[in-house]
Amino acid sequence: MKISPVLSSWLQIGPMALILVVFFGLPMLVVVVVSFFDFDHMSIVPAFILDNYDDLFSSDVTLRLYLSSIKFALIVWAITLLIGFTVAYFLVFHVQSLLIKIGLFLLCSVPFWTSNIIRMISWIPFLGRNGIFNQVLIATHVTSKPLEFLLFSDFAVIVAYVHLFTLFMVVPIFNAMARIDTRLIEAAKDAGASRYAVLREIVLPLSKSGIALGTIFVVTQVMGDFFVVKVMSGGQSASVVSALSNQIQELQYPPAAASAVILVIVVMLMVAGILRVVDVRKELAS
Amino acid sequence: MSATIRNGQIEVVAVTKTYHPGAPPAVDNLDLRIDHGSYCCLLGPSGCGKTTILRMIAGHETPTEGDILIGGRNVTNLPPVERGTAMMFQSYALFPHRSVLDNVAFALKMRGVSRADRNARARELLQKVHLEAFANRLPAQLSGGQQQRVALARALITNPRVLLLDEPLSALDEYLRLRMRGELRRVQRELGITFIHVTHTQLEAIAVADTVVVMAQGKIEQAASARDIFLAPRNAYVTRFIGGQNVISGAVERVSGATATAVTGTGARIELPVAELRVQPGEQIFGSLRRDRIRVRRQDAGPPPRDLINALSGEVHAIENQGSYVKVTIDAGDGEEFVANVLDEDFFLDPIDIGGRVVATWAARDVRLLEDRRSQPSGAVVAAA
Repeated sequence: MKISPVLSSWLQIGPMALILVVFFGLPMLVVVVVSFFDFDHMSIVPAFILDNYDDLFSSDVTLRLYLSSIKFALIVWAITLLIGFTVAYFLVFHVQSLLIKIGLFLLCSVPFWTSNIIRMISWIPFLGRNGIFNQVLIATHVTSKPLEFLLFSDFAVIVAYVHLFTLFMVVPIFNAMARIDTRLIEAAKDAGASRYAVLREIVLPLSKSGIALGTIFVVTQVMGDFFVVKVMSGGQSASVVSALSNQIQELQYPPAAASAVILVIVVMLMVAGILRVVDVRKELAS
Repeated sequence: MSATIRNGQIEVVAVTKTYHPGAPPAVDNLDLRIDHGSYCCLLGPSGCGKTTILRMIAGHETPTEGDILIGGRNVTNLPPVERGTAMMFQSYALFPHRSVLDNVAFALKMRGVSRADRNARARELLQKVHLEAFANRLPAQLSGGQQQRVALARALITNPRVLLLDEPLSALDEYLRLRMRGELRRVQRELGITFIHVTHTQLEAIAVADTVVVMAQGKIEQAASARDIFLAPRNAYVTRFIGGQNVISGAVERVSGATATAVTGTGARIELPVAELRVQPGEQIFGSLRRDRIRVRRQDAGPPPRDLINALSGEVHAIENQGSYVKVTIDAGDGEEFVANVLDEDFFLDPIDIGGRVVATWAARDVRLLEDRRSQPSGAVVAAA
């Protein structure tokens, strides 16, 4: 049997297209449609109204929530980038033995052997008012009173985020760095580059694609999170999605849908911005 | 630029480099002197330590023992930038994210030269290698030969007194390789600086170098002029590696005057010049024989002529036409490769086929004695020369 080239192309993209349409396209479409619906206490009413968007844009809570989420995203991005870049650099350029390299890399993934929720919740007995960390501080006379800001605070939220997402930064940067020809670094040293100059002139620019990918992973996850903020801030901080989840609990689906649509657009703009700075496709192709 | 004395004489003094404790050293107690302004090739099979020496001279490796001197100054523990050397890396190691101009200007940028000055100097060098039109391209947009010239310009921008080239031609196709090796030689002459060129290609080394250093297993087998390496290899290893000559050997039968007659493994009699060296009867001695001085003729039916001297009979194993001569490989039955380079016009007068039986003859004056000696199990022990 002979398959025409057109048919074979469709067969090849078919499975992936089906998954994207059924599990991404259709739900997204439903959310967009629902965002224009009306609702009352008990049900949602099909309609085409702009009230949901109107409420969203006229409320100053929206801006506060976005600023809060973006603040978390930026802080977590900066910290995970610093840690991720350092860890990847160490693994790629300092560890000589391949076996030790693989071993340490696996070690990085050990926290992922348990669920996100358990990893996050395990911070509570550690950072709590009478938690291990405070007990150690008091026992060693560093402080006389337990530190209050450790848990149920922005600090705790950031600690949990960094813990959860650093590996998403390490892996792509590691990948990008591992592809750097070590002769380039020697050539730079030969030309008189200091260690710092090698980092700035060679390693950093050639790790750009990894940094961009890691940034996308971390930023989109922080922007889309509600659970960590809720648990680790003890309800004192909020994020875009935590407000959205409250609306869903109150069965206010149309405003939640409108909020989701706006969030998707904002995150897409952020990703587009990152891709504008670094052409990931070009970097990966070279 | 620094005010170092522009003397590119290299001295490698008793240098040993061991990578793993207990493993055989990559470079083994090696001494080497390379004169200022000369073109030196380090030649040897992969893993012989030639690249390790180059990298130690460049400062990218530190010797486990011994010293390296450049221009009379001990540089063993100095970083690359303070040695006045520049290295051209295998497959060039051009920075893929920087333009050709930035690649060439890189070393000046690292020395704090202003953008205008370093770009002007880089353009000047690009002009020299005929690439000024490509200044703003990325390395990936250039051909292999162009990349090689960018690498050369990048290495020369600091006015090094020594240029170290690690397999500079191995990434090029044959045609470019032949052109670029002439170009390298011309640049070296023009600049008058020391070039050290690592290669595993014999003809490349002989074509470009003043001095060829043949290495094996971390040691120098012979360091001599290109002409001497080719015509007067010191031992069987160098002879076989360079390949312009055959190794012939036999057990000494008798010595008369400066000539020893030896019997080969297959029973043929050969003459070797021993000069004033004392050799014992029964001792195994080795000689080198120029491949282009051998005559080959068909062997007539019947047993091989036993009484002939300086002749060897065997079966033709391979025939390769090289254009101006034909390379005839003869299997003499002793395992040693025996090749005769027959002038094309002689060969094609009466072409011989693979499998045909032939007799190869030569004159005693085309044989040189090699340093290798092996005493027979019961023979007298003679110290190696």
